[in-house]
Amino acid sequence: MIVRIRRLLVRLTLFLAFVGCWEAAYRAGLLNPIIFAAPSVIVKAAVKDGWTFLAAFRVTVLEITMAILMAWCFGIIFGVIAGSLPILARISAPMLSAVIALPLVVIYPVLLVWFGLGVTSKIVFGTISGVFPIALNTLTGVQSIDHGFATMARAMGANRRQIMFRVMAPLALPAIIAGLRLGTALIVIGVVLSEMLASTDGIGFWISYHRSLFNTGQVYLGIILALSITILVNMILSFVERMHFRGGDERFVR
Amino acid sequence: MNHRPTARAGSVEIIKVERLSKQYGSGANSLRALSDISLSVSEGQFVTVVGPSGCGKSTLLLILAGLVSPSSGDVWIDGAAVTGPLPEKISVMFQEAWLLPWKTAVENVEFPLMLRGAPFAIRRPRALSLLQLVGLEGFANRYPGELSGGMKQRVAIARSLVQEPRVLLMDEPFAALDEQTRTRMGNELLQVWEKFGRTVVFVTHGLTEAIYLADFVFVMSARPGRILERFHVELPRPRTIEMIGNEAFGRLRNRIWHLIGGA
Ligand SMILES: Nc1ncnc2c1ncn2[C@@H]1O[C@H](COP(=O)(O)OP(=O)(O)OP(=O)(O)O)[C@@H](O)[C@H]1O
Ligand SMILES: [Mg+2]
Repeated sequence: MIVRIRRLLVRLTLFLAFVGCWEAAYRAGLLNPIIFAAPSVIVKAAVKDGWTFLAAFRVTVLEITMAILMAWCFGIIFGVIAGSLPILARISAPMLSAVIALPLVVIYPVLLVWFGLGVTSKIVFGTISGVFPIALNTLTGVQSIDHGFATMARAMGANRRQIMFRVMAPLALPAIIAGLRLGTALIVIGVVLSEMLASTDGIGFWISYHRSLFNTGQVYLGIILALSITILVNMILSFVERMHFRGGDERFVR
Repeated sequence: MNHRPTARAGSVEIIKVERLSKQYGSGANSLRALSDISLSVSEGQFVTVVGPSGCGKSTLLLILAGLVSPSSGDVWIDGAAVTGPLPEKISVMFQEAWLLPWKTAVENVEFPLMLRGAPFAIRRPRALSLLQLVGLEGFANRYPGELSGGMKQRVAIARSLVQEPRVLLMDEPFAALDEQTRTRMGNELLQVWEKFGRTVVFVTHGLTEAIYLADFVFVMSARPGRILERFHVELPRPRTIEMIGNEAFGRLRNRIWHLIGGA
């Protein structure tokens, strides 16, 4: 406990020192104000216009949350089903690997036509950005499980659905979580990117809008917000991981 | 759990196999695993199956369990034609326990009941009493990763009894254990069996184990597997280690050995 508090204090001190140096360098005129915004400028940008950045933040968080929910659900469900059915696995695994290699951003203009400039196109693009690696990881994870588990479950009277979701999916969880990490990172990237390309709201929009007006403080604020969302998402994932591995990895000796 | 009166010589036929054949695959790379097997087992008997490696013992057991379908022939267990798993009549055990690693021992034992939606108040006491039966009452809340191989198979035995099946099918359940543990597990299995009197079909590579445990030993030929002969083991029960050294035991062991082709 004391070690943790001390570590926290050290980090905080370092962080404050960094911010202090940054501010000092700015005041001393060492930093170009168009390229670098000082901490005080960023804070001023935040409180200006009555905290308008919070609205942009809310929109982006909503889009990312929706995209995560959809990509996790579709990716895991498809991966578990396809991983348990050899024919479906043989067909879909190469297709998934191919799609992952594509620069998916090329389809964004099409999504704009279908879903408009609003949040829907961002949610759909975010989902598409993340769902394929989740599905592929889940699929290969389920495929690599020894058949003995499924045979045993069948003998115990488990039906297809129970075998998939009460035996195979939990067994594949380490692989699924690896997929979730990758897929979720891609979702955050996809949503912010699509906001920057064409939108009317959100952090991505906030950044590109203020960049065009040379409001460096607002741009930096947007970057900090985007980073904080990534950190938040990673914390949630670590939490999910810990929930499962409660009691240590040695339980997973198969 | 109902205690069966010791009607071991009882003649109620519980397993009946008629003209069973199994061919894996089709065309040029097809493989005949079993050929024209007929056998019957009376309720409460402990029968073992031996035969050369690859002769189809596991295949036969999987077909009895309804986990693999035969190419031709029929299987009845307790009066019901076997066309798929019958978890309330038949349970199986393999060389590996296949315990779910994120569930504790007691949760693994009650898992078959959970699949059927049995409430906690029913499944937990039953699972605990079965763990006690196999001597693991102190390990109910341990995870499989914390148990030895023998302990895992004990949990598997408890789990295979939790649905109160009529027939236990076991495919070399102790083959991965060291010899001492294997012998001890065999004795414990016999104790459990004598207490509950389920019918047991036990596949093994070990002739000594096969004779020691069994009322009847089925001997299979090399692939495609057929039943060559059924030997009645007339040693009294309970069996003791000393019996392994006696003359009748040795004679029977030799006969089976030659029949399989040990030469
Ligand atoms: N799923 C399968 N597909 C194709 N061939 C199979 C399959 N399972 C088993 N076989 C073949 O059928 C034959 C019998 O296999 P089986 O596992 O039943 O033998 P076994 O008597 O249990 O062998 P062992 O003593 O080594 O355990 C073997 O030649 C094996 O290669
Ligand atoms: Mg076998």
